[in-house]
Amino acid sequence: MTAQVDPEVNGLQVRSEVAPAIELVHAARWYGNVVAVNDVSFSLGAGVTGLLGPNGAGKTTLLHMLAGFLAPSAGSVHILGRSPHRDPSVYRQIGLVPEREAVYPFLTGRDYVKFNARLQGLRDPDGAARAAIARVGLEDSMDRQIGTYSKGMRQRVKVAGSLVHDPQVLLLDEPFNGMDPRQRIAMMDLLGVLADEGRTILFSSHILEEVERVGTEILVVVAGRLAASGDFRAIRALMTDRPHNISIRSSDDRRLATTLMADPAVFAVELTPAGLCVQTAQLGAFRRLIAGASRAAGVRLLEVTPADESLESVFDYLVRR
Amino acid sequence: MSEVAPVGLIAAFMEISRVTLRQLLGRRRTLLLILLSALPVLLAVAFRAAGETEVERFTRRIFDTITMTILMPLVAILFGSGAFGAEIDDGTVVYLLAKPVPRWIVIAAKAITALAMAILLTGSSTVLAGIIDMAPAGSDGVSATMAQLLAVVVGSACYVSLFLAVSLFTRRALVLGIGYMLVWEGALSFMLPGIANLSIRQYALGASTAVYKLPLQEVRLSAETALLLAGVLVVSALVLATWKLMRFELPGGSD
Amino acid sequence: MTDPKRAAGVPATAPATAIAAATAPAGSIYDLGYRHYNGKRNGRGYAMWSLFVESFRGVWGLGRPMTAKAAPFILAGLYALPAVVQLAFSSVFAQRIAAGDQLQLLNYHNYFADFYFLAFLFCVAQAPELVCRDQRYHVLPLYFTRAMGRMTYAVARLGSLALSLFILLAAPALALFVGDVLMQSDAFKAVGDELPKALPSIPATALVAAGLASLSLAISSFSPRRAYSAIGIVAYILLMEAIPAALYSIGQTGGGSWTDKLFVFTPVTSLIGATYWFFGQPLDPQDFAGSLTSGTYLVASIGSIVVATAVLVYRYRRVPA
Repeated sequence: MTAQVDPEVNGLQVRSEVAPAIELVHAARWYGNVVAVNDVSFSLGAGVTGLLGPNGAGKTTLLHMLAGFLAPSAGSVHILGRSPHRDPSVYRQIGLVPEREAVYPFLTGRDYVKFNARLQGLRDPDGAARAAIARVGLEDSMDRQIGTYSKGMRQRVKVAGSLVHDPQVLLLDEPFNGMDPRQRIAMMDLLGVLADEGRTILFSSHILEEVERVGTEILVVVAGRLAASGDFRAIRALMTDRPHNISIRSSDDRRLATTLMADPAVFAVELTPAGLCVQTAQLGAFRRLIAGASRAAGVRLLEVTPADESLESVFDYLVRR
Repeated sequence: MSEVAPVGLIAAFMEISRVTLRQLLGRRRTLLLILLSALPVLLAVAFRAAGETEVERFTRRIFDTITMTILMPLVAILFGSGAFGAEIDDGTVVYLLAKPVPRWIVIAAKAITALAMAILLTGSSTVLAGIIDMAPAGSDGVSATMAQLLAVVVGSACYVSLFLAVSLFTRRALVLGIGYMLVWEGALSFMLPGIANLSIRQYALGASTAVYKLPLQEVRLSAETALLLAGVLVVSALVLATWKLMRFELPGGSD
Repeated sequence: MTDPKRAAGVPATAPATAIAAATAPAGSIYDLGYRHYNGKRNGRGYAMWSLFVESFRGVWGLGRPMTAKAAPFILAGLYALPAVVQLAFSSVFAQRIAAGDQLQLLNYHNYFADFYFLAFLFCVAQAPELVCRDQRYHVLPLYFTRAMGRMTYAVARLGSLALSLFILLAAPALALFVGDVLMQSDAFKAVGDELPKALPSIPATALVAAGLASLSLAISSFSPRRAYSAIGIVAYILLMEAIPAALYSIGQTGGGSWTDKLFVFTPVTSLIGATYWFFGQPLDPQDFAGSLTSGTYLVASIGSIVVATAVLVYRYRRVPA
């Protein structure tokens, strides 16, 4: 594998580090005539990254390639500088939470996590299991059989099992499936904490709020190809052919509206009881304009917020393009 | 940071073995298998009650037609193909694969557990039935029982390792196993005596002659040949299984 | 699901109008255009027919990937193979028959007796495929809450397996018939000669198909796992063949002459014996120990079909949906 490592292959540099924890270079995977992952390149370092895409986009295939369960049909996949395929020792550094809900139903939560600890060759499986269970907050039900768990509890025990050996890289496939909103928030916070400890975390999801809350770094996969990567606000800024919506509250909305309409950067202004809604093509130009315009009109700005900086709108845009 | 420490390997082996044991033994199905294994014993009791205690009749009527052609293959195929089959069907095989455990340990743990369970069921049934019905035949009866136990052990080892390997290649390993048992061992081996070298039944019966010559006409292999061929089958099946597990690719899932 | 009648029942234009009060802050309910079904409802008979057709396609793997077709088609092919071989060589045989040789390799009445294990294997492979997964993945309630009742479900599944088996079993009989007709110089006369010999195949095949289908499906319905269902079918049939044989051999020396009556419990031997009744052939004492007649075996087979069907229906009445 002497391929030229080019972190800007897809036009966006994610993070520059000496040895990226996860690195794909022109990776592709096909099954017969079906291409599941097509020429994907990116590299990730410590932090949380969301892998986004509609169902069937190739997220699971991508994660399975990273986890060494699938060899790339072309290109290369490296985790911590090593190829994970056919090298079981890599799993010392990888924690994996698969998408399927199945966990040995006859084991108790504690036994399942201990099972993982023993297979990782840990010296103190009991202690490690207890600590991992505590991290996901399952202490109360750890002695119950997993078969009696709810979906959210199963997801958490899977996360505990993948954490027990303190891996450097954590791969999670749809980790929030089946969790109620409170459990989601707890899990998102946990992922944040784990990332702050210096881990590289990649999780897939097709639900946008999840990604938005956990991290701003995203990879968007559409039909097997990487459609975008990086900070989602930065991605939004690159989408110049689509007007930005900005909502403004000020001391005199009507007056401000007339001033703004005079500027060519502004497409449309809508006056609503909640404030002004402005459409503009160039965000940068508008930012420079707004301060001067308000001062000229003698209007005091109370709040300027981008109305559609939500991930959903970014995602929608990329998927439809 | 390469492989798990030696102490860890034993722990991993035990852990996989423990989970496999729980997977293979559900409450209802275990009861069913125990009932199945009890049949030769019950028939032996009936034979004894009817005053039939000859080695030859027992060997033909119970050991050969029931234990060797039905019970042993069924139990061994079920455990052999189920050791991984259930994990692959449920998707729990991921938890085994995503571990820094050498693949041969995983295969060995699965195979040895499945084999131990198969032998526990069919072996104890063979010994019990043999003792019940052939004890009056004296030392001949005891040697015949031991020979039958050896045949069951060799046969189970072959079936377990072969269909454990097959289960890594296809989800229909169990049906293939039953097909092998019915078509190859059942129908074809009567039509084509030449396939003795390729028949688990012949390996098992041949091996038993090392202890005692069971009164069955169609034992075609010597003990040495049979044991050698059985050994080759077991080792190559397990090597193949390890090779396949190293390259095991998970199905794409719903994505 | 792709029934045009159902599609026709859907109103063509269902506007997704949002009746939203623009100013009032109170909540409101939107009519998102939920489409009521106003078309004709075809009722239980139609539901049963649909499931029957779908099950039949499932047994043969039609509309499914090649891997699903492999087992049924290979087994059916193997079962028909000897008859087809005979058909292929029928011209050779024809010459020898013209020369006065009496040549009968395979016959209508003993074909099943010689190759039953392939039909049996077909049941082992396909019966669990047909019903186990419905229990495994808890989709039975989806059936039972529709027009389909529990009984309808059981009957439709049974019917499709029985029809599949009928086709598998009838194919070689048809090949034998064609071969026998081709062997003779005068085809019209040959049809007249052969037909009376071949016709009993139809009721005999129907009986065998019903017998094997009801038995294997009744056993399969008790386990959600395909593996255990398959083992259950094999174990039941083989043991019910072996046990009466073993006890009969005791009876012969031990003076219990009644032990040959136990053969009525053999599933396959009974079916084979019953087919001989339709052909009016004597039972070959080499294959049929004891004094039972083909008429007794016919009664035993019909009894077995009734009991197995009752068990199947009973099971689906009780099975937790």
